[in-house]
Amino acid sequence: MTRTLTLLGIESSCDDTAAAVVRHRPGHLAEVLASDIVGQTSLHAAFGGVVPEIAARAHVERLDGCIERALAEAGISFADLDAIAVTAGPGLIGGVLSGAMMAKGLAAGLGLPLVAVNHLAGHALTPRLTDGIAFPYLMLLVSGGHCQYLRVDGPDEFHRLGGTIDDAPGEAFDKIAKLLALPQPGGPSVEAEAALGDARRFDFPRPLLDRPGCDLSFSGLKTAVLRTRDALIASKGGITAQDRRDLCAGFQAAVADVLAEKTRRALAMTALDGSPLAVLAVAGGVAANKAIRARLETVCSANGVSFLAPPLRLCTDNAAMIAWAGIERFRLGMVDDATFTARPRWPLDARAPGMIGSGKKGAKA
Amino acid sequence: MRPDVLLPILAFDTSAAHCAAALLWDGGLILRDEAMAKGQAERLVPMLEEVLAEGGIGWRDLKAIAVGTGPGNFTGVRIAVAAARGLALGLGIPAVGVTRLEALAYGLPRPVTVVEDARRGELYVQTFTADGAGPAHLADGVVVATAATGSAAGDAALPPAAPLAEAIARIGAARALTPQPRPAPFYLRGADAAPPSDPPPVILP
Repeated sequence: MTRTLTLLGIESSCDDTAAAVVRHRPGHLAEVLASDIVGQTSLHAAFGGVVPEIAARAHVERLDGCIERALAEAGISFADLDAIAVTAGPGLIGGVLSGAMMAKGLAAGLGLPLVAVNHLAGHALTPRLTDGIAFPYLMLLVSGGHCQYLRVDGPDEFHRLGGTIDDAPGEAFDKIAKLLALPQPGGPSVEAEAALGDARRFDFPRPLLDRPGCDLSFSGLKTAVLRTRDALIASKGGITAQDRRDLCAGFQAAVADVLAEKTRRALAMTALDGSPLAVLAVAGGVAANKAIRARLETVCSANGVSFLAPPLRLCTDNAAMIAWAGIERFRLGMVDDATFTARPRWPLDARAPGMIGSGKKGAKA
Repeated sequence: MRPDVLLPILAFDTSAAHCAAALLWDGGLILRDEAMAKGQAERLVPMLEEVLAEGGIGWRDLKAIAVGTGPGNFTGVRIAVAAARGLALGLGIPAVGVTRLEALAYGLPRPVTVVEDARRGELYVQTFTADGAGPAHLADGVVVATAATGSAAGDAALPPAAPLAEAIARIGAARALTPQPRPAPFYLRGADAAPPSDPPPVILP
């Protein structure tokens, strides 16, 4: 299929309600005509984390407004669309269902094809939206909900090399912020404190570095920070501002060390005849952390690999990536009908063995 | 003469263990009600298309959408409401919300009190008089001074005057004549969420 395609994308799998319009002319870089995102940080702030029921309630009442704004901003009408792409999982099922049903209703009303997109495929294909890079490439997806290394071979071909066996790093940053009375989201506030701290004062663990492969773990690191904090509180009734800076610096250094070493291993695992894949791309909010990013860039340059980080607005959850993944699938003739199922769990690579701790219902992602 | 209803209208409800739909037009009604504990998200749109086909019309012939907004199963309510809002946006027609309590009171003599089982030992209660509807609320128990209907109204409960989807269609067809807010789930319970229990540390000077 070689014609120009214009797709609406819809995303509601976590705490961002989003709609976007992306247009692609074969042979050219795709254009994001509009990308509307409504976050829910303030709705969840009092609870110290995303509350699924609160998120679902917000999505169902905000999605159509997002879609209308995206179309208006793109300056197009529904008649200009070729198809509708929507996140069908993995994620918080109440939100995914809200988006999926909105898309099913809209597609029925407009007589347009539907494309059900895996949220992780949206992230993993973003380097092709922003930079038009060729397959294959190595992807590090590192966010509040996910952490995995993927070799991306095609719009529907992903090989998971490894991933977290428990928490995602972004979730750990949020948790550390909460433990240390820093504002949410935790990523930027912990990073700002860490910049003023001494990373060598506390010796935090680097989980799983002693094991081969590129699986990761962050749960024990979180607990180590908690124990250290509690020991400080026990000794003097609280923590000082400098304690907090040093705790943040030590924690961030541990995350950066782990991600750097596992990235080096992932590059080695994907090397063919001694030469690694040409590009490592990152996605997810944690990729915005400057210290972590600098370490990843160092690993890449040491291995002769290009480092690619899409702009933050396309790195964190958004609907442009869903529209783009929809375009890639649509060009391969992959369309869905209104019977597709919204899935809370949906690993990109169904062949990879389930992760430890992934539960009896199978791997989440 | 101004019509007093907007037709044809397509109504549906997935707020409980069913997928129910009604297509109402001037001179006809098609009803569908399939029992299902899950799978409404996959079944709803194909079922609506079957109902339209049986009525010999297409999506573009509809003048309005009506949807059951609960109270009921949170996920089920959102399935139907999201689909209704998507359809309304795509078709450029109004979608109106009708609560389960309004639908149960439809066609019954006034005054009437709807008493529905809300689980967790609670009831949904709303009284409808000739002047209109009183506030809907959650209650531990209730003494009803009027005629009553609903799943928890006891032995003297009036049977519903119409199947749920038909009642939603008929109320919606009248309501859709005037501008309405977009349908939203009707929750009488807050989201289950508690603020974290562990206090933040004291930051020493």
